Amino acid sequence: MSNILDEIPYIVKARKDTGLFNSKIAIWLFLASEVMLFGGLFSGYIFLRIYADYPWPERALPVMPGFINTFVLIGSSVTVVFAWAALKMRKYRQFQVYMAITLLCAVGFMILKTIEYKAKFEHQAVRMEQTHAVAEGHFRKVDGEYYTNMINFEGTEFSFDLSRFHGPFLEQILKSAKDAGAKLTMSETTAAGYDLAARKFGVDLEPAVSEETELSADLLDDLRAKFLDRREKRSNLRIAALREAWSDVRTENAGFNLSDRELAAKLDVDSAAVTDNSEAPVQIVTFVSDKPLPLTFKPKFIQTDEGSARLKDGTGIKGQLTDSTLLLDVDTLDFRQTARRAEEKGLDPIEEIEKTWLITENPQIAQIWERHKEEVQKLREKLIERGDRDENGEAVLVPNENDIYRITWQEIVFYLDDNVTEEPGVFAGFAGPNHKKFDYPSIDIPREKVAFQSNLTPKWNTYYAIYFLMTGLHGLHVIGGAIVLGYFGFFSGKMYREHPEWLANRVEVGGLFWHFVDLVWIFLFPIMYLM
Amino acid sequence: MADSVEEIQKAKKTYLMVFGALLVCTVLTVAVATIPFFDGGAHGFDTFDMVLGLFIATVKATLVAAIFMHLNHEKKAIYWLFGSGIVFCIALMFLTGWAYADPIKFEGFYEGITNWGK
Repeated sequence: MSNILDEIPYIVKARKDTGLFNSKIAIWLFLASEVMLFGGLFSGYIFLRIYADYPWPERALPVMPGFINTFVLIGSSVTVVFAWAALKMRKYRQFQVYMAITLLCAVGFMILKTIEYKAKFEHQAVRMEQTHAVAEGHFRKVDGEYYTNMINFEGTEFSFDLSRFHGPFLEQILKSAKDAGAKLTMSETTAAGYDLAARKFGVDLEPAVSEETELSADLLDDLRAKFLDRREKRSNLRIAALREAWSDVRTENAGFNLSDRELAAKLDVDSAAVTDNSEAPVQIVTFVSDKPLPLTFKPKFIQTDEGSARLKDGTGIKGQLTDSTLLLDVDTLDFRQTARRAEEKGLDPIEEIEKTWLITENPQIAQIWERHKEEVQKLREKLIERGDRDENGEAVLVPNENDIYRITWQEIVFYLDDNVTEEPGVFAGFAGPNHKKFDYPSIDIPREKVAFQSNLTPKWNTYYAIYFLMTGLHGLHVIGGAIVLGYFGFFSGKMYREHPEWLANRVEVGGLFWHFVDLVWIFLFPIMYLM
Repeated sequence: MADSVEEIQKAKKTYLMVFGALLVCTVLTVAVATIPFFDGGAHGFDTFDMVLGLFIATVKATLVAAIFMHLNHEKKAIYWLFGSGIVFCIALMFLTGWAYADPIKFEGFYEGITNWGK
């Protein structure tokens, strides 16, 4: 029987030229490419941060989960190298124990990551119209269910674009009409448009439509098919006419050696051929309801304006916005953008902040802001006491933008709760503010005040985009590494008995990958959480 | 590479020491970022904190690479392979800077297009 180690050379013994077994060369090649992959992403982070057109969420993440995860990963790096050492000394049981601890660490890491991600998904942020003030928090729980951000609109007239209307939107409109017992009939203008087309070109429309025609999915599908058909015919006619004209102009000018540009100037297109028998396709069909229809859409599907709205598929609606108030329990306030804009215009940032809707219309927020100003003053004095003065006698240490214009959840708890005598530290709350433990101030934000709303996901800003991209990719590395190490640790009995050194080399190579994953986290943690 | 039992036992002690050093560095990096007493430079986050934070991270990374990944005594082939990866990685960090220093000049570009063929 031939030895497998002879058939696969240099997986245990070193090659003479490199002095290494082959798998080690392979893993280092892979790690070199990984370094460049993550390097590119870190480079992307630098770019996003330098050119960010909004105040960077500096030190905004709760530190605790990342801090623990750093310990967990470093610990697992030690156990994986201990596992390898145990294997080298031929202590298989011990090797398995260390591998088990490594896997537990990987699981622990991913659990903490999940908790962190979940907190981000639940955390909402609202940017206000005009002032760019930001309020963060959780949507309020009403009757045991979280409020969801929806736009309510009452429509009376609906204009569908036959080339691109979206079935589910149409269904919602039809359902609303059915529930309200309303009748949606074709508008005069649209009916006249079809009538004109029919009379002018002698084309019978099947089904014939008129002002009495009621809206239905089948009708719209039918009209769409006819529209697309006519549009295609029209375009074919146009192409044919142009082709003929071009071929004519080429024959006439053969031998003159003219460029296409010069030929185009002489082109004589038979305009009758283009329009003849090709009735103008009706593209927008409008239906009118005899009662206002209540509709509810996610903000990303609808854009509202005074008296009208437009759905994402181009459907225009006439009507009005009904109560779409956003119910938010505020745990963070961020006026940095407001202040920056005021400073750009040469205005006093504090005055501008105090003019924002958040402070003028919400007594509790105003109270927080007043208290915050006092605390900033206290901080200023404290820093003067501590810090040196420069040659002009100005204090070197002053509160920065974040201190003055950003109010964290820790500060809100400190300002509002009389039992809290000291501001909670960065480790409090674990993965962020706890809305079950503390009643954060509730505000009702009218829809017209909202410029943008999102949870803390890539949609909110580029910081969360790069945060989820990099930590997500790192998390996938943790999962992948754990699977491979788990396989080496618990499905290796046979290999250990037959070729223990081969197994040791495998574990060494797997361990190298694991250390690399640790290495990436060593940079990710301070950059994402502490800077 | 540690191969004899004694050498491995010795290496294990080093691993534990590095483990301790990494933990201390982690606590340190959080301390300089969160405790006002340790805050250098201006109040709050500034360039000083960034340099310090990245310096500590680099120290930690070097420890992991040198001791856990055995880069302190490796074969030449690996130094060449991984070293070139690192060189490109560092080069990537300067992409933004280079883009800023050498913007593409568009003067006359659009005129060129609109006057094309005339």
